[in-house]
Amino acid sequence: MPISPRSDGLPTRIAAGVLLFVLCCLLSSFWMVHDAPNPLHLGDDDVAARSDQRFTVMKSVLPSHGVVGYIGEPGNSGTADYYLAQYSLAPLVVDRSLNHPLVIANFPTSSASSLPQKLQLVRDFGNGVLLYASKDMK
Amino acid sequence: MAFLLPAALCIVSGYLIVALGWRRRAFVLSDALLRVSLSVGYGLGIFSVSFFLARVFGLSHLVGVDVSVLALLIAAQLLLRGRNRVTDSLSSTTESFDLPPWLRGVAAAGFAIALCAALYSAVLRAIARPHGEGWDAYAIWNLHARFLFVGGDHWRDGFSTLIPWSHPDYPLLLPAAVAHFWSYLGHEAPAVPAIIGLAFTLSTLGLLFTSLDLTRGRMSAMLGGLALVSTPFFIEQGTSQYADVPLSFFFLAAIVLLFLHGDRSSSDDPAPRRGLLVLAGLAAGFAAWTKNEGLLFLFAVVVAQLPATIRRKSQAESGEEPAGRWIALAVLFLAMTPALVLIAWFKHSWAPAGELFSSPPEMLHWILTPGRYWTILQWYAKEFLRFGHWFLVPGTLLLAVLCFLTIAGPGRVKGRRLGPALWTLAFTLAGYFFIYVITPYDLHWHLRFSLNRLFLQLWPCAIFLFFLHLGPKNRAIVSK
Repeated sequence: MPISPRSDGLPTRIAAGVLLFVLCCLLSSFWMVHDAPNPLHLGDDDVAARSDQRFTVMKSVLPSHGVVGYIGEPGNSGTADYYLAQYSLAPLVVDRSLNHPLVIANFPTSSASSLPQKLQLVRDFGNGVLLYASKDMK
Repeated sequence: MAFLLPAALCIVSGYLIVALGWRRRAFVLSDALLRVSLSVGYGLGIFSVSFFLARVFGLSHLVGVDVSVLALLIAAQLLLRGRNRVTDSLSSTTESFDLPPWLRGVAAAGFAIALCAALYSAVLRAIARPHGEGWDAYAIWNLHARFLFVGGDHWRDGFSTLIPWSHPDYPLLLPAAVAHFWSYLGHEAPAVPAIIGLAFTLSTLGLLFTSLDLTRGRMSAMLGGLALVSTPFFIEQGTSQYADVPLSFFFLAAIVLLFLHGDRSSSDDPAPRRGLLVLAGLAAGFAAWTKNEGLLFLFAVVVAQLPATIRRKSQAESGEEPAGRWIALAVLFLAMTPALVLIAWFKHSWAPAGELFSSPPEMLHWILTPGRYWTILQWYAKEFLRFGHWFLVPGTLLLAVLCFLTIAGPGRVKGRRLGPALWTLAFTLAGYFFIYVITPYDLHWHLRFSLNRLFLQLWPCAIFLFFLHLGPKNRAIVSK
């Protein structure tokens, strides 16, 4: 037998239940629309696309595969920057260490001021993207 | 236009797989939509596997590979056409909710509004963040897709331990499917993972809606669909290019198909329904090829079938000979086997060991620490009410209220019929719990950044089972 609002004194309860259910779901739907990106400013906050743009020129001068070193800002923001760099430079493997002949420096929000002495600047690509050679690994 | 050829190959391959397991004669819209929804997932699954195998064996001519797969599927169709008995389509359903017309109208309007809101939000999110939203999109899934696509002979570098947080041990359904499409296009179009994410999101909704429509009637379908489509976190994750919504699709597909197989309302022969078991097994296999949690789900599916297989006392009750029940379990397991072999091969040959089981002494220490169990329980309770990012009223609470208000309604489905599905979800949740107990990561950090997604993976299944339980069973949809 179907669940019926016309039997056994259930109509109010079931109707109220379904009505409440629909209305509360719609509250979340309206919230979803409110929380959606502004259609007039789409793409402004895509960090991965911006990262791809920052590394485009560097990618063209790096080897097509292999492993390069990496140095960037410390802390959590530095970790996110590292993975964005790895995403942009794939299929090159970016190792977060200095133990490689080529080392990428990635400083999107600060300057690369106190880098280890063993790193020698090869090229500054702008936007905080630099390529170093490690003197120890030559 | 270049996207249309692989998209057509993908969907047609998926449709042929579904048609192999589930043949029907008459046309019913919900039935057709259900099969189309399934076809998207199966098509992407087979696309992923074929691309991965092409990479492994160095096959560069992908069109040839895809056409060969298509030809094999068509040949199988022709071969089995005479053997498989054709099943009828559902001609009528009994409504679980016999509501007055005005309330049916409110529910239908509510569903339509919520669907439009979800589509609006999903499309804007996909356009605004074409590379995905959040860490996992670019640090795991799309990164692996890039290595598979542009890596050439060095595609294996993507599983290097030098990129530890990219989870190189994660399986490849999503990355390989994305790379397959990129190979046709010839470049890394960010629209591809975005479209695949949207396709899985809409297919999950379509699968939930149509399966409830076929089994419990249109009102249950609309209310169930409304519960899912108005879950903000489902839409957010569906467009974030994470793998949790694709995983939820395969979970739901397996649960729905197993339920349809177990449907016993008519005196149908079990033989043709074994195709549903094969599809359920494939869905569980694809889940395991999507994420490691899928492997846990796969084992949960098998273990949950065991009590029902062993316990059924009479042939009249089960509709099958005891030997037939064991054969059914064997068929289910055999359908999972190709995915299990592929995963074992991938994990053994290319993927480094995962971090979770890296330190047995530490694991033992965590298992013997009661405080961790209490912490995880507290997080389970909290996330039960907040994982969907609902506005003001949690969806889980809403379902509980709806259940309470209709509690005196007649004709609930007996728990026994839903037992295997409920046990599958329970085992999966218990497995997740155990993983948190032994996690080598900081427990609070791990819970904070993953538990809501684990709950989301099971949310479509939970909605399906909830509305199955709430309404009486309609006539069998799979019959001779």
